Amino acid sequence: MQRFSALSTRLAALLCSLAGLLILAGCSLNIEGKQSALDPKGPVAQNQYDIFIITLIVTVFLFITVGGALGWTMWKFRLRKGDDPRYIPPQTHGHPLIEIGLVAGSAALLVVIAIPTFGGILLKKNVPLHLVEDAIEVNVVGYQWWWAFEYPEHGFYTANEFVIPAGRAVKLNLRTRDVLHSFWVPKLAGKVDLIAGQTNFMWIKADEPGYFYGQCAEFCGDSHAYMLFRVIAKPEAEYRRWVRDQQRQTANLNPDTGPLYAPLLARDQWAYPEDKVLRGAEVFARACASCHSLNPASQTNGPNLAHFATRTTIAAGWMENEPDELFRWIREPDKVKPGNFMWTGFLRYNPETRTREVEMAGLDYYDLSDNEIEAVVAYLYTLR
Amino acid sequence: MATTADVENVTHAPAEPARTGLWKRPLKNTGLVGWLTTVDHKKIGILYAVGALFFLLLGGVEALIIRAQLMFPEQEVISARTYNQLFTMHGTTMIFLAVMPLSAAFFNYIMPLQIGARDVAFPRMNSLGLWCFIFGGIILNLSWFFPGGAPDVGWFAYAPLTDRQYSPDIGVDFWIMGLQILGIASLVGSFNFITTIINMRAPGLSMMRLPLFTWMTLITSFLVILAFPAITIALIQLMFDRHFGTFFFNVEGGGKPILWQHLFWIFGHPEVYILILPAMGIISEILPVFSRKPLFGYPLIVFSGAVIGFLGFAVWSHHMFTTGLGVIATTAFAFLTMLIAIPTGVKIFNWIGTMWGGRIRFTTPMLFSVGFIWMFMMGGFTGIMHSSPPVDAQQQDTYFVVAHFHYVLIGGSLFALFAGIYFWFPKVTGKMMSEFVGKIVFYVMFIGFNLAFFPMHILGMTGMPRRTHTYKSGMGWEQSNFWSTIGAMILGLGVALFVIQIIYTCFRGRRTNGDPWDARTLEWVTDSPPKEYNFAYTPVVHARDQLWENKHGPDSRKMERIAPGPHGIHMPDQSWWPLILAIGLFIACLGMVFHGEPAWWGEEARYGLGITICGLLITLGSIYGWALEGPGGFHLHPDPKEYDGALPAPESSHGHH
Amino acid sequence: MSAHSHAADDPHAALEALKETSTGIENKKLAMWAFLASDCMFFGTLISTHLIYRKIYPDIVDPKAIFDIELTGFSSFILLMSSFLMALSVSAAHKGNIKGVRWFLGGTIFFGLIFLCGQVYEFHHFVTDFGLTLSSNVFGSTFYVLTGTHGVHVALGIIWLGSWLVYTFTDRYKAEHALDIEVAGLYWHFVDIVWIVIFTVVYLVEYVPFLT
Repeated sequence: MQRFSALSTRLAALLCSLAGLLILAGCSLNIEGKQSALDPKGPVAQNQYDIFIITLIVTVFLFITVGGALGWTMWKFRLRKGDDPRYIPPQTHGHPLIEIGLVAGSAALLVVIAIPTFGGILLKKNVPLHLVEDAIEVNVVGYQWWWAFEYPEHGFYTANEFVIPAGRAVKLNLRTRDVLHSFWVPKLAGKVDLIAGQTNFMWIKADEPGYFYGQCAEFCGDSHAYMLFRVIAKPEAEYRRWVRDQQRQTANLNPDTGPLYAPLLARDQWAYPEDKVLRGAEVFARACASCHSLNPASQTNGPNLAHFATRTTIAAGWMENEPDELFRWIREPDKVKPGNFMWTGFLRYNPETRTREVEMAGLDYYDLSDNEIEAVVAYLYTLR
Repeated sequence: MATTADVENVTHAPAEPARTGLWKRPLKNTGLVGWLTTVDHKKIGILYAVGALFFLLLGGVEALIIRAQLMFPEQEVISARTYNQLFTMHGTTMIFLAVMPLSAAFFNYIMPLQIGARDVAFPRMNSLGLWCFIFGGIILNLSWFFPGGAPDVGWFAYAPLTDRQYSPDIGVDFWIMGLQILGIASLVGSFNFITTIINMRAPGLSMMRLPLFTWMTLITSFLVILAFPAITIALIQLMFDRHFGTFFFNVEGGGKPILWQHLFWIFGHPEVYILILPAMGIISEILPVFSRKPLFGYPLIVFSGAVIGFLGFAVWSHHMFTTGLGVIATTAFAFLTMLIAIPTGVKIFNWIGTMWGGRIRFTTPMLFSVGFIWMFMMGGFTGIMHSSPPVDAQQQDTYFVVAHFHYVLIGGSLFALFAGIYFWFPKVTGKMMSEFVGKIVFYVMFIGFNLAFFPMHILGMTGMPRRTHTYKSGMGWEQSNFWSTIGAMILGLGVALFVIQIIYTCFRGRRTNGDPWDARTLEWVTDSPPKEYNFAYTPVVHARDQLWENKHGPDSRKMERIAPGPHGIHMPDQSWWPLILAIGLFIACLGMVFHGEPAWWGEEARYGLGITICGLLITLGSIYGWALEGPGGFHLHPDPKEYDGALPAPESSHGHH
Repeated sequence: MSAHSHAADDPHAALEALKETSTGIENKKLAMWAFLASDCMFFGTLISTHLIYRKIYPDIVDPKAIFDIELTGFSSFILLMSSFLMALSVSAAHKGNIKGVRWFLGGTIFFGLIFLCGQVYEFHHFVTDFGLTLSSNVFGSTFYVLTGTHGVHVALGIIWLGSWLVYTFTDRYKAEHALDIEVAGLYWHFVDIVWIVIFTVVYLVEYVPFLT
């Protein structure tokens, strides 16, 4: 039985490696990460964080007591050097009092978790009374693989990022146009799914102004990983200004009053040569407008682009809104986001042929030249 | 590999066997025919294990590719589509093709020995279960070779992503039919185990004397027969949606995709216990042996296993806390979920109680068992965390959950199954696996596993969702992902070493006696490996840990033996029909996969139901062949020395209870 | 060296061996009970699907306008009577009354066939006269898949019992096969009981005034 004598060294090695693991883990414990649930910035996330900490304390307590008992038993009753391996310990079969005690103890610990849990469930479902008064409402609609946000009280749409007033509750009505998605801004609130065939509700509130990262958390097909969004909390005055701006038209939508889609932004503010921008408007009208609405008050198959230039990100939060990135995004959307409908066009399954057929053409069909894409880029930055 | 049959001892009578079927029944119990037609639970168990280990490696390789893709942010090792296929197949493979069949291998091999039976109640049905498992695995993995490739909808396959509109390719059809045939495998296996355990126990082996592993086999089998119908019907509904235009989950026709989630998890949650209860049974066998003490609180462990099984049907919606359930439903499912912590805790307390005051030998099986308790405890704790819906709202569908269920399924199930393999390997082959190598395997796996999965807790809490094929740099997820991949590779190394050790031991292992661990239960009473008939005599059981009592107990608790009657031991005949029946189902399922697809013989032609009908006719034909050939059987006469000193058989008995 | 003899030489011994179980219940019967428990869950899932959609979409179809309750009621009664005949044939089998087995089994099958024909007629009637198909609406989907699954169960039962009927005319039929007929009978009774549930919750409930 010599081979068991080295057990203590082995156990020591085990403990060392565990400690090493914890240190490693500690290095990467970045609780203030951009999308961290451990850095709550609103009441819902805070409540969920608090309950998490309660469960953490309970389980760490259990880990220390039960794990301690287990470790101590392993150590104390191990076969040591020089022990008679044929020794027969007392053959005890159990003790009802110990067992009942342990059952009762664990039940009591669960109550500690259960009570705040119930509070948390209620909080997530209903906006507290003192916040209901001045709550705003936003309708969230998920698409493969981007987000539409509608402000029903103000009658405009935006996409992939939306602005909320800091300090006010925001009621979110969640719907999906196709498959399931899940709305998740960890710093503001835990996720709620967007389920086809029903409308779900949640609410968020940012205590302070801030820039919050969100992401789809329900697997939704090829480009699930690229379905990001942002929530931007602004002070009340800035929020009001933003709302007012968003309601404004940015392009000429009436053929009677000038060229269709011509930018309404004052010419001295255009960052690109005039002919390029106007050519961009023509290309937009031909290749983009069937899916992308420039009317803030309407929503078509693709993201509303009426105020594109005011957004911080493109491609549903995957890229920063910069000309180079935008050029790449329009040039090869299928490489940036595989399966993307901007490239393939909208597909509808045909049971006869067993394939999906193009219902509305995409960029694959229009085959834009680099010049045309540059023009569209120039044009899009006039939409403010 | 040593087969379980002692060929020299068997001579088939020169007389022709009764011509009861279309052809003569196979008599040769060696070679390819012997394995293909076997009805011996031991050989079937070995085949289950070999198949499961193969799929374990396959699923493991899939996991390593996944981890390689995630090692650094914004990588493109594989495409998004491939990644989605890989995690779908990884999950499906590990659950249905690795862990469940590996458990089934133990059910098959060990359980009949533990109850002193000569075989399971329906040997041919057992064989059918095996072949359905093999063909189910083949169907699932065939999908890789067809246009469109493997399914890419996740192992949970949430509607409406599985609708033709969003998944037009046949990958999903392969997934549906693969799971369907695997369901048949699990169901027929479970009917058999239930009947065997309830009906074929040795004299004196009352239910409360059953070894814990057999108890868990019984409870798991009940979970299977009550949980699998939900997924079977859900799959049929999905199949009708995809092939015949029904609207079960189709939103445009008024279907409610949420229904799929309910049906899936009514199956899916008991399934979790189907994966873990056998592991708990194995642990409950190993801990007493190496602590040299009986299981602490046996009745409570049995009872808590049953309670876990029962509650398992009442908590499915805790997988759906974020789907917008009402307050009452959410609260009810949350509290019921928390309740499950109690019977689970009871088991852990009792395992510690078993070791307490014992004399613990840290052999390889014991190391894996203790590793199981630690890791399962960790997984249990994170489970308690997301039993609370507010906490779950942040953790659901993140890497925190990935960490949780890998702690439960690798640190839990797989460690226990590996413990079982090390423990029972000498039983099955008569050869010992090296303790030295075994311990290296354990430590490598233990370290690799924790390095791979502990950081995922942090990833999840800092906001990384599951099932994303890549992530943006600068989100604070780089380090954890990097170390997780390193850990996964170390874990893979451990598993590879383990497989090499198994193969090596099969050929070069040290021979051992029948009871190398100084074990306690009935399976170790007979030879290692056991002869074809398991026991040369009928054991009469007088105590729970019968072998231990034989060695150390008072005379009143020692086992008695009853000699076989003058006719010898009745053995069932081998049969081709289970294999043919499974082939029929395989063809029928393939036919459904290709139903409506463009056929090879013409541009406009479509595959119809013809292939399916052919397959079903083969199935029906084999049922007749099966029924008409009957169980058959022959008698073996073991060497009288094997039951030397046994009580003579009573007049009315014929040697087989 | 041991001698080897085939069980066919001594079927009595083999049967004796099979009968001696720990509980005294035959293995086949126990396995059938386990299967029926499982089958309950199959039908439970289907029935709940139907009821859930019926509740969500109360106005999608007016089943009363489609159902021919007299006909379905009649075929349900026939199916119930087949259970009665099934019980008689099991009893005859246990008594070794082979003629009785043949007559009662034949009757069971005949009644089962009547039920099945009723169902085929009903489906045909719904499709041609009301245009209700699998893919016309959710009601069609759930109704046909539920009742169709039951129909498949009845059809399989008829094939099973029919096989036994043929078997009784061969010289291979032995008194011991009463057990097998009893097991088939368990299945048949179960399928009938399931139909009572389906008939109640799918058909009859539609005629309860305060529920609709």
